[in-house]
Amino acid sequence: MADTPARPNDLPDFRNPPLNEVVLGVQLNPLLGYQQIQAGEVWRLFRKEFPKSQEHPPIAPMFETFGLPAMGNQFGFITGAPHSRFWFLRPDEDELIQFQQDRLLHNWRKVGDETNEYPRFESMVDRFRNEVNLLEKYLNELAPQDLTINQCEVSYINHIVPSADKPLVASNWLRFLNFGSNEPDDFSCSFREVILDADNTPHGRLICEASIGVKADRQRIIILSLTVRGAPRRNTVESAFDFLSSGRNLIVRKFVELTTDEAHTKWERVK
Amino acid sequence: MTKTQSTAAFTGGFFRDASTKNIVSISSNHIRNVSDEKGNRWSDKVTVRLQNLIRLTPGWDGYQGRPVSFVNANFAYQMLHSICGPETRAPQIIPGSAGDLQIEWHTLHGDIELHVRGPNDVHAWRAMTGSDPDGEELNLTVNFVVVAQWVKEVTEAPIATETAA
Repeated sequence: MADTPARPNDLPDFRNPPLNEVVLGVQLNPLLGYQQIQAGEVWRLFRKEFPKSQEHPPIAPMFETFGLPAMGNQFGFITGAPHSRFWFLRPDEDELIQFQQDRLLHNWRKVGDETNEYPRFESMVDRFRNEVNLLEKYLNELAPQDLTINQCEVSYINHIVPSADKPLVASNWLRFLNFGSNEPDDFSCSFREVILDADNTPHGRLICEASIGVKADRQRIIILSLTVRGAPRRNTVESAFDFLSSGRNLIVRKFVELTTDEAHTKWERVK
Repeated sequence: MTKTQSTAAFTGGFFRDASTKNIVSISSNHIRNVSDEKGNRWSDKVTVRLQNLIRLTPGWDGYQGRPVSFVNANFAYQMLHSICGPETRAPQIIPGSAGDLQIEWHTLHGDIELHVRGPNDVHAWRAMTGSDPDGEELNLTVNFVVVAQWVKEVTEAPIATETAA
């Protein structure tokens, strides 16, 4: 199996980025021979490292398709008995696996005093690859099958925190926002870009979402989320991880494009 | 319009419920509503039809027919948003026996059939009136630009032209 490509040398890098959460995920075609009652067996695959569990409502399938301009639309109901989305968490809850019958995701986030260090994409994606392989092996014991991956997703969620003694001015941080002389109390905005293959064929989207958030200590921050989602070139695990790697590269480059030089200095840009 | 769902586990991004963890953020529904598609002629009809098809009972065709799978219905619905404009007439939707479905338009201008065999797996065919009856066909994954043009030509041609045809 191919290793994760090394971090590209020309990829921008920060010593102290405002990264708060990273999500890697794959969406799967229906699994043969699997029923929700077997979710506990899936947890057993990961339980040693992820001994806590939680149950959440499922996420509906999402597909990035291309043609006429349209916002993301979801078919807002389910059929039959819904499968929960299970979280399998590490003891300190800084990482978790999310599993439902058509998805597997791996999240990392800052917790507690937010000093826990981001394990870096290459390390995180290697572990996610191992988790996907474990799931595939388990499913093969239920019924011979290869995982068929119809969508992939990588998200970087940043919490941009102003200096305590300065007001939050969006244009100091984000190049694409300037509210003039009166800074609004709050805002939320989003935009999407089509990702093209080398032959100009669309195969995914980059989705940027920015809004004001308020932390528990009442401090106002900017939440900047960048997500790349789309279909892998082929529906295989290998192709899915190629998508995740290239998605990460797109997100990092877009993050640099969207944020100001002043912000880069604060976050200690090293490349 | 359906609220965007998030795979973020912890961060209260603006598309998440504000009660999540220790971050409160602002709803963006007012932004999303700008492109709300309540006006679509086809959307409500398609939704009702797909709801019915995924609830078919096994053996609905008198044989071993399975209901349309949820994932196929979901993909088809999102695909149609990339194909149909607000004024597009609703297509006919016919279930297959293996959980698949076929989406069709038949007008005086021509015929279009989209066979959704699975997510990212669509066979598209069309034949225009007066041209090669074998038509043209494509195997498609996620890019439906060509089909959007087909549908426009087959379903949204001026009424006068259609009447005269």
